[in-house]
Amino acid sequence: MAAAAAAAAAATATCSPGAGGLGSAVAAAGKHSVTSFQRRGPRASGSDGGGSRLVSIAGTRPSVRNGQLLVSTGLPALDQLLGGGLAVGTLLLIEEDKYNIYSPLLFKYFLAEGIINGHTLLVASSKEDPADILQELPAPLLNDNCKKEFGEDVCNHKTSESNIKMKIAWRYQLLPKMEAGPVSSSRLGHYYDASKRIPQELIEASKWHGFFLPEKMSSTLNVESCSLTHGYMKLLHFIQNIIYEEGFDGSNPQKKQKNILRIGIQNLGSPLWGDDICCTENCNNSQSLTKFLYVLRGLLRTSLSVCIITVPTHLIQNKAIIARLTNLSDTVVGLESFIGSERDTNPLYKDYHGLIHIRQIPRLNNLIGDVSDVKDLAFKLKRKLFTIERLHLPPDLSDTVSRSSKQGLAESAELRGPGCGVMAGGKTHLDF
Amino acid sequence: MPRPFHLEGAGQRALTPSESVRRGSGRELEMLESLLALGGLVLLRDSVEWEGRSLLKALIKKSAVCGEQVHILGCEVSEEEFREGFDSSINSRLVYHDLFRDPLNWSKTAEALPGGPLGALRAMCRRTNPGPVTIALDSLSWLLLHLPCTTLCQTLHALSHQDSRPGDSSPVEQVHVLGLLHEELHGPGPVGALSSLAQTEVTLSGTMGQASAHILYRRPQQRPTHQTQWFSILPDFSLDLQGGPRLESQPHPDPHTPPVDPTTHLTFNLHLSKKEKEAKDSLTLPFQFSSEKQQALLCPGPGQATSHIFYEPDAYDDLDQEDPDDDLDV
Repeated sequence: MAAAAAAAAAATATCSPGAGGLGSAVAAAGKHSVTSFQRRGPRASGSDGGGSRLVSIAGTRPSVRNGQLLVSTGLPALDQLLGGGLAVGTLLLIEEDKYNIYSPLLFKYFLAEGIINGHTLLVASSKEDPADILQELPAPLLNDNCKKEFGEDVCNHKTSESNIKMKIAWRYQLLPKMEAGPVSSSRLGHYYDASKRIPQELIEASKWHGFFLPEKMSSTLNVESCSLTHGYMKLLHFIQNIIYEEGFDGSNPQKKQKNILRIGIQNLGSPLWGDDICCTENCNNSQSLTKFLYVLRGLLRTSLSVCIITVPTHLIQNKAIIARLTNLSDTVVGLESFIGSERDTNPLYKDYHGLIHIRQIPRLNNLIGDVSDVKDLAFKLKRKLFTIERLHLPPDLSDTVSRSSKQGLAESAELRGPGCGVMAGGKTHLDF
Repeated sequence: MPRPFHLEGAGQRALTPSESVRRGSGRELEMLESLLALGGLVLLRDSVEWEGRSLLKALIKKSAVCGEQVHILGCEVSEEEFREGFDSSINSRLVYHDLFRDPLNWSKTAEALPGGPLGALRAMCRRTNPGPVTIALDSLSWLLLHLPCTTLCQTLHALSHQDSRPGDSSPVEQVHVLGLLHEELHGPGPVGALSSLAQTEVTLSGTMGQASAHILYRRPQQRPTHQTQWFSILPDFSLDLQGGPRLESQPHPDPHTPPVDPTTHLTFNLHLSKKEKEAKDSLTLPFQFSSEKQQALLCPGPGQATSHIFYEPDAYDDLDQEDPDDDLDV
């Protein structure tokens, strides 16, 4: 299987630079192009590795587009938007929402997925103890419960609309209904119940390493040796040690079972890490975080690991740094919640809790990335599930429907809301 | 999840002073208690017009009355001025660390704090006697001007979370850190960084001589809630909640005119009666499609891969198969 070939290639090619090496090794080693057709039984023609049985790593599957090994982010809807999952060796950057309510959820889904699949976890935080973070992970939904959750939503939709037979627009009965819920073709990920905690025995059975910055930092204020902030240097050393000692970069060939290391770093760039990009615009160490990301990506590319990082980009004062962070990461997802903004009371957005922006998708061994055609995505935290849906604006039946775009509609609805008649008339439509 | 609610007093008639005192004493405790309920960092943002030191002193008095230990780091005003207005029982409970008189430790006396402001803060982190404690920082602006922002943020975080560090079996004791921040002195960066650390954030403003506090509660992993409270502080630093500013020149809509119904005096009929609705439903549509043809078009059968033309010849149609252009000599 190409997955095992990729893993073997990662182990042997220690000096291959970046993802290009990984991809070319896959292309060289696998004589067949990667298709979704999977042969049952052991591979008759041993392309490499002699007669040894190549076992695939739990929780991963090769991508059907470019052969990269993919892992799930914990949310199957997000996996589908990112092209099937996160590629091993890449970095997922999440831009936090303003009050930091929904980005910890994505962080926890990622870690919970690692525990379910038996991956090793590395959790780093400056605000909370990693042990406390692990206690708050969501519980996995078993298959029949999960179907019940989705079933009741789908039933509600279907019963309300099946009675109406259209008389004039009867040709539209043939068109399929818009799928609002998550559609996943092959189930790489699991569903989680956000209202319940993960059972304690699952946490104890898993292997995890924690990095809590106030514990690791020495109490004296010491000078920074190089231009990286002290906290970042320590974190990089910690990650490097774990990768080396546990053999994720192939340095311990006696390891019988290959596994993935899931790294999660919370609130990177906030002042609690010692970085002042959130405090001032002209900061002394403006390149500290960018250098950290560069070194981290090098570590990720040469090992079997995936990393998720949450950054409070709404606090960063210098916008150029945000652009640099986006360029230095592989996949970038931005969360924008409606709390506190004017959209909270806008009736157009009342079904959703915020918007989700897929800002960047990596081009690994491809000329084009796997960008989905849906640009307007919104998320909603139901009592148990976190769903991502296409943003449906309801049809506007007012007289401006043929004249203004969707954005204009949203604006005009907001302006009419507070009841200032003078303001609304001036901006939107022409009145003959 | 909790919905945000507003307690604005706009629209009420002006209260007589005795009424407001009686009404205020019940809710006064609510406001101060709710500010101190969440624990952690309480950030008071004031400005030149609406000062926050009196609210800080009101909170200190409340904590002292509740029996907590109170430590004060005074940087901006002298100790005598700060202790003014408190009675002696409260004053005896306050532990004052003075950074105003000698911030750079020039007099080299024993009573100066070692290590400057950072040393003083770190010393407060390592408290040994148990019990709930309140630490008041007057003010955070002074500390921001003397310390780097990241160091201050890290120290504040360590201050407000020190109860979770020791592994002994004592119950969780709340640490309240009250910080006064003059938001006009700083740019959006430090203010944003500090407000992201705070569990409760109070922004002081007001209109027409009446102070108001806009309070934002950030409970962990829940939606933040807002509250706006009009108040004034009495000379003995107790809080007097008000209904709102006095409304003198606010136009309100005339409640006597009923809303106009535009459908009453029309020359045409906008509503359908039941018989009319039935007649409308049973009307055949003008394009003369029968329902069989409609079904046939909806469910394409096996012989309908190509489209069909339904031709009904008219009386004037010429069914001659000859090509009329045959006699042209082309």
